[in-house]
Amino acid sequence: MRANRIIIHVLAIGLAALVLAPFLWLVRMSFQTNADIFAFPPHLWFSPTWANYAALWQSEFRDSFVNSAVVTTSSTLLSMLVGVPAAYALSRMRSRSNALSLWIIASRLAPPTAFAIPYFLAYRDLHLLDTRLGLVVIYLTFNISLVIWLMRSFFENTPRALEEAAWIDGAGFWRALVSVVLPTAAPGLAATAILCFVFSWNDFFFALILTRSNAMTAPVAVVNFMNYAGWEWGRIAAGGTMVMLPVLVFSLFVRRFLINGLTAGAVKG
Amino acid sequence: MEARGRLTRRSLLAGLAAALPAPAVLGQDKAKSKYAGTTIRGAAFSLPFHQYLQNYFPEFEAATGIKVSFDIQAFPIYNQRMDLELSTGGSSYDVIIVTFIYQNRWIGAGWVTPLDEFTADPNVTPPSWDTADFVRGVEASMRDAKGRTYAYGVEAGAMVLGAARGDLIEKAGLSLPTTMDDLIKVCDAVNGKDGVSAWTADKLHHWNWPPYLQAMGGRIFKNPPQNLTPMLNTPQAAKSASWYANLITKYGPPGILSFTDDQAMQSQLSGRANMRTNAITWAAPLAKNPNSTVKNTVRYGMVPAGPAGDFPGVACHGFGIPAGSRQKGAAWEFIKWALSKEMLSRLVKEHGYPSVCRRSVIESEPFKEALTLNGQDVAALYLKVLDQLGDGAYMRYRTVPVFPQVGDKINRAIEAIATKQMSAADALKQAQQQAVEAIRMGGYKVDP
Repeated sequence: MRANRIIIHVLAIGLAALVLAPFLWLVRMSFQTNADIFAFPPHLWFSPTWANYAALWQSEFRDSFVNSAVVTTSSTLLSMLVGVPAAYALSRMRSRSNALSLWIIASRLAPPTAFAIPYFLAYRDLHLLDTRLGLVVIYLTFNISLVIWLMRSFFENTPRALEEAAWIDGAGFWRALVSVVLPTAAPGLAATAILCFVFSWNDFFFALILTRSNAMTAPVAVVNFMNYAGWEWGRIAAGGTMVMLPVLVFSLFVRRFLINGLTAGAVKG
Repeated sequence: MEARGRLTRRSLLAGLAAALPAPAVLGQDKAKSKYAGTTIRGAAFSLPFHQYLQNYFPEFEAATGIKVSFDIQAFPIYNQRMDLELSTGGSSYDVIIVTFIYQNRWIGAGWVTPLDEFTADPNVTPPSWDTADFVRGVEASMRDAKGRTYAYGVEAGAMVLGAARGDLIEKAGLSLPTTMDDLIKVCDAVNGKDGVSAWTADKLHHWNWPPYLQAMGGRIFKNPPQNLTPMLNTPQAAKSASWYANLITKYGPPGILSFTDDQAMQSQLSGRANMRTNAITWAAPLAKNPNSTVKNTVRYGMVPAGPAGDFPGVACHGFGIPAGSRQKGAAWEFIKWALSKEMLSRLVKEHGYPSVCRRSVIESEPFKEALTLNGQDVAALYLKVLDQLGDGAYMRYRTVPVFPQVGDKINRAIEAIATKQMSAADALKQAQQQAVEAIRMGGYKVDP
């Protein structure tokens, strides 16, 4: 048994190292000078430098990072605000038909490229191109379906008896939802919010098509370091690290909820 | 009050003096009165040209009253965004870079404004602006079948041979190779000497290989842009692809098949690899980049010729005006200013800009000085490549709308040959079939 456990631990550590290797390589590169990055054979030891991060922060990347933060936070909050009540309503609907839910998920069935030109043209006419509001709206439309689908299953697993008990105790509809149902579905809320956050934060395609310079987000700004006459590898690595950081920190804070949320109902028949 | 209506000698002289400033200033004043207060929006990818030019925007704004705002993007992002913008008739931009690889598509589809109406009117463009001064081959790709011009060149990426360690070649008793056979001889003689690989290249084989394909009598398309039948399954193509795959794998540094453009350049700058054929923009840093370790050993030459001649690649990007622009007049004022002889001369003199498209500037002393690299007159080499381009016929393959798709098939075929997964004939046969499908999907006819 002990030998088995050691083997499993070694395998787990090996697998984790394998998965984390590209990430560690990127972080390492972000602290290297160009000469160190291209040194051949690669140097194991080098003098770390903050120069890439300093240069990044003096460039338009800083504004793009702020854009990403504003757009992602707004769209996640709005998606939850609109999607959670909708999911609750659907979960308590008496109809057994799934047609409505299928229509809701339809926006996520087609590849993003299918929406590119219609959105571009509509946004141009509505003067939403290159605006934060435009990006919030687009992420909202895609995230709402995700919120509804995920949260609906969480609410369906919440016993109705709980909210009925609250009603008997005199709580109104909204009070029962806020004070009884939502706390019970907290892991689901956290997991859904993280997925919305990650989707919006990491999106490249819509940010590429629908922004120019004012509302450009961090993932697109990183690619802008791929200059015609040469790529700025140090800045690309520093930008990549900065883009990963918020998601990583956010996930670490709520990882217990995330695991509970994602596995909830996994063994339910 | 009486004097008001009288024509006195003094008032006549004052009037004459006011009417006789230098032509350039006159033009600016005219522009100022007509377009003052206008804001033009431009888009460009991160070219060194633009980085230098934007230092002078305040001068243009002061002289014309036109405000300039530019979005600068990475090359791949720029192309994606601009293709979408132009294809939907957008009016977001007034000045754009007409990218070489999209010239045929954007011009052919009528998404860019013909500039002849501006250049033909001496009130708008003084004859001294001299459209004929732009090198003929550079401008050829920016014209349509009727000869109308849609853009003027900001950068000509003329391909040359750069040998980072020319000293190793001289030490072996040889000189820079001028033919493909010589190139192999030189590679054999210097490969591995001082730990330096004889050759280096990036993985954009669709840019690097065609000069050697054409030098062996092959071609990419039958007769672009009229006939886009691919010509990849010919004996010349197979022979050339086999030769090229051998060049990069036998004489290249480890990992060459996955090299990006930057890695290939770094391999030369650090002295790990010796020779490479690429545009002047990438060759000049060997002598000028502060981090270069080969400043004193670098040598430059023409792309080695084959039995059918030499065909150095040339990629030209130009300033144009989108068809949907609502500020075309002001946009032209900007282009006229940015690509004037005076401005280009300043970019050369003050920044050493190496990829100018105006002959008078290329032949000027400051340009020669800027492109005298490690004692060599690379300016003359640059002009020779541009002149060799002639009417641009042999580079037309690069400007057809379906080239990106076909280029992708070429890249995969060369990789398959270099990694010995397939023979050259089989890989190119497959590439040919895939290219035909891609071209047909693009809505073009190919010969049966």
